[in-house]
Amino acid sequence: MTALLTLDYVAEKMKEYGTAEQVRSNRIRIRTTPERVSNAIQKALESLGCDRLITISTADNGTTFELFYHLIGPHRTVVSIAIEIPRDQPEVISMSGILSPAGIYERQIHDLFGIMFRGHPGLKKIILNEDWPADEFPLRKDWKKNPDTYYGGIKVERT
Amino acid sequence: MTGLLPGLVYVFLFPGFIFLVMYALFFESLDRKITARMQNRVGPPIVQPFADFIKMLGKEVIDVDGVDRKIFDAAPVVALAAVMTAFLYVPVLGVSPFGFQGDLVLVLYLLTIPTVVLFIMGWLSRNIFSSIGGVRVITQMFIYEVPFFLALLTPALMAGTWSISEIMLWQQQNMWFMILQPIGFIVALIGLQAKLERPPFDIPEAETEIVAGPWTELTGRRLALMHLVKDVSLVTGCALITALFLGGPVLPWAVTPAWLGIIAGFCIFVVKTLALLLVLSSIKVATGRIRIDQLNTIGWKYIASASLLQVAIVLIINYRWVST
Amino acid sequence: MPEVIVPIGPHHPALKEPVNFRVIADGEKIVRLELDLSYNHRGIEKAAEQRDFIRVLPLLERVCGICSHSHSSAFAKGIEEIMQIEIPPRAQYIRTIIAELERMHSHLLWLGVAAHEIGFNTLFMWTWRDRELVQDTLEEMSGNRVHYGMNEVGGVRCDLTPHQVSTALERLPFLEERIYQYVDMVNDQQTLLLRFKGVGKLTREEVLKYGAVGPTARASGVDYDARRDDPYFVYTEVPWNVVTDTNGDVYGRTCVRIGELRESANIVRYCLENLPKGPVRVNAPKIAPEGEIFSRYEAPRGELAHFIRTNGTNKVERVDIRTPTLANWTSVAMCLVDQNLADIPVIVAAIDPCLSCTSRITLINTPGGKPGIVTFDELRKRGQTYCQEQGPP
Repeated sequence: MTALLTLDYVAEKMKEYGTAEQVRSNRIRIRTTPERVSNAIQKALESLGCDRLITISTADNGTTFELFYHLIGPHRTVVSIAIEIPRDQPEVISMSGILSPAGIYERQIHDLFGIMFRGHPGLKKIILNEDWPADEFPLRKDWKKNPDTYYGGIKVERT
Repeated sequence: MTGLLPGLVYVFLFPGFIFLVMYALFFESLDRKITARMQNRVGPPIVQPFADFIKMLGKEVIDVDGVDRKIFDAAPVVALAAVMTAFLYVPVLGVSPFGFQGDLVLVLYLLTIPTVVLFIMGWLSRNIFSSIGGVRVITQMFIYEVPFFLALLTPALMAGTWSISEIMLWQQQNMWFMILQPIGFIVALIGLQAKLERPPFDIPEAETEIVAGPWTELTGRRLALMHLVKDVSLVTGCALITALFLGGPVLPWAVTPAWLGIIAGFCIFVVKTLALLLVLSSIKVATGRIRIDQLNTIGWKYIASASLLQVAIVLIINYRWVST
Repeated sequence: MPEVIVPIGPHHPALKEPVNFRVIADGEKIVRLELDLSYNHRGIEKAAEQRDFIRVLPLLERVCGICSHSHSSAFAKGIEEIMQIEIPPRAQYIRTIIAELERMHSHLLWLGVAAHEIGFNTLFMWTWRDRELVQDTLEEMSGNRVHYGMNEVGGVRCDLTPHQVSTALERLPFLEERIYQYVDMVNDQQTLLLRFKGVGKLTREEVLKYGAVGPTARASGVDYDARRDDPYFVYTEVPWNVVTDTNGDVYGRTCVRIGELRESANIVRYCLENLPKGPVRVNAPKIAPEGEIFSRYEAPRGELAHFIRTNGTNKVERVDIRTPTLANWTSVAMCLVDQNLADIPVIVAAIDPCLSCTSRITLINTPGGKPGIVTFDELRKRGQTYCQEQGPP
């Protein structure tokens, strides 16, 4: 365990990718764009000493999808690299090449939010059942259960 | 054997078919009870295996698509017949009336038949778990069979006879082979445990890996009969080791009324086989399951060499003291 | 034998929960495997967005049956941080006690399951018997064996009586004695060593690369432990150590878990002996201000992360749950390649997989036996009548 990263240090290292802000004593968030996310994560791994990905968090804020790549290293500071991707074209480059655990999180996000990850080796269903309709993504804010759609599993006879 | 009727009674009633089935099921329940108590459980009631057996006989037999029904129906019966026949040559009430010179070899081969049957059933089941289990059965058989046979043949070498009953009588006059051949005795116990596929050698039916191995597709009376085969094999194996290593069901001195000798012999048989069961159950409780490749290493490296060592010792003793 | 596909799951004796591995094996060697977790999805994250904070906690507790306290704690501590309320020290201590008891029962359960996977049923029976003691303690403290329901936003639901504290303390020496016996057993039992040593090995670099967490990571010498890295509850006040090992195989994971059992017993003892006086909850506001929090918690299986976002109402905008098992799957898939078919159960079990955590399902069941949904009002009425019948505690 080494000392926590300071905001100045992170901002200095990551300044070409976006602004950094201290959201908690041990968490620093860097907002960047989907085009630069791959380079930003690469940079964080190389120069911030991050050595692993905790998770990729997703949120739907109504207008865009937000993705947070939470990285951590021996300094025990969570470096969250945040991007926003448009709802009408939800697509972002896959991180599974750089960070292997990203693969499984991306499959999960693909299932629940319908975000496409370019270059993912096997973007198959993992969380939702295989007979779930292909164009419905349950964690989107505008998703409503359609009574006429068949969501898989055993059909229930309603009387 | 003096006549046809006593012979029939011996084969079908006592200590043959009926008694053997009862004793085998009793053995299983006792085995389960001992295991349960050692594992701090209550365990099933003594009648549980009997109830299971009768209930399973009446259960529906499910045929797998594309499997030869006739072979599947016949296989458990063949296996059961083989182990029950083997039991007739093992001394129970004193000397076995069917014993002949060379019955030891016959018994060993009859005891192998259930294993082969299990392999055939696993292989024919058209189920991936059964197939893997079947392959494991036959692999395991090739590993334990050689040391097991060698260990059981060493008493024959020393006694100079191939009849189980005569080996037993030799011990009555001299000493138990358990004391004379301790290595052989231990190898025989390990081999029996492996033959019966009990922990740590339950590799072919490793529940958490391949469901039930060759047993996966067995249902109804086939399953009941195969369970019975396993129990009867346990009894036959214990009885065989009792006869070969523990002096068998005879007292070390002659008893004057013949019927008293028979009763005493039977009591000794029960006590000795139960003692062996206790040992086998303790091994079962105290170990986990090893892998097939580890069994291969252990089997050929240590168990086979131990049995060869025992054979060598016996040959040397024979050369120096016995044969002259 | 040619390459065969061995389907493991969704129904398989080695699996306690539904998951499907398609193992492509060449004889007894594993070539690769494919994974499908989809049998269990319950939509808890979606359901959480539609409930207020009071109702979200019991819901999140039902994410998992083993680490139920972990999920509700991770959420409660996150939401309390957003609300900027400080919960009383006694509540912190009680939460820690429940958390560590939960870790103990989870690790004892794991030890049994791992022993069962290698066919060593005696250890399985013994650990599960001893686990009952921990469960009894939990039941006495919270009233439940599995879903303790101790957490509330702003503190804990009920206080510990002196009698509960003393009974729990009385049980600890026996448990510790048993734990020492398991240490001996793991080190002496030959069949156990044969099956555990060198199996499912992960080096330190691989653990970091594949993002493994919890005892799986600590067994390879990666000392990530959220209790120390991101202190919560009273872990800064209690003397304890992060348990690590350098073996990196199933044996190492067993050693780490047994070591943690011992540490947990010490933490529980310290907390019970030094339980401060005072209230056990503060009144929490109904509404949380806008904010986001990344709440990390060391669940028995590893680091659990809740990403919570609030929007100024009494409901959460988003709860994103990353369970330890999901993080560990990548490492399992990697370390199974080239291993023996017989070792799948024990390697998979070694991460202590919790699939209901990972894919979050629910079962709805009314006491009448008919499936249906109990509405919140019905539940409240039932609770009120029950309390009236029982009288004051």
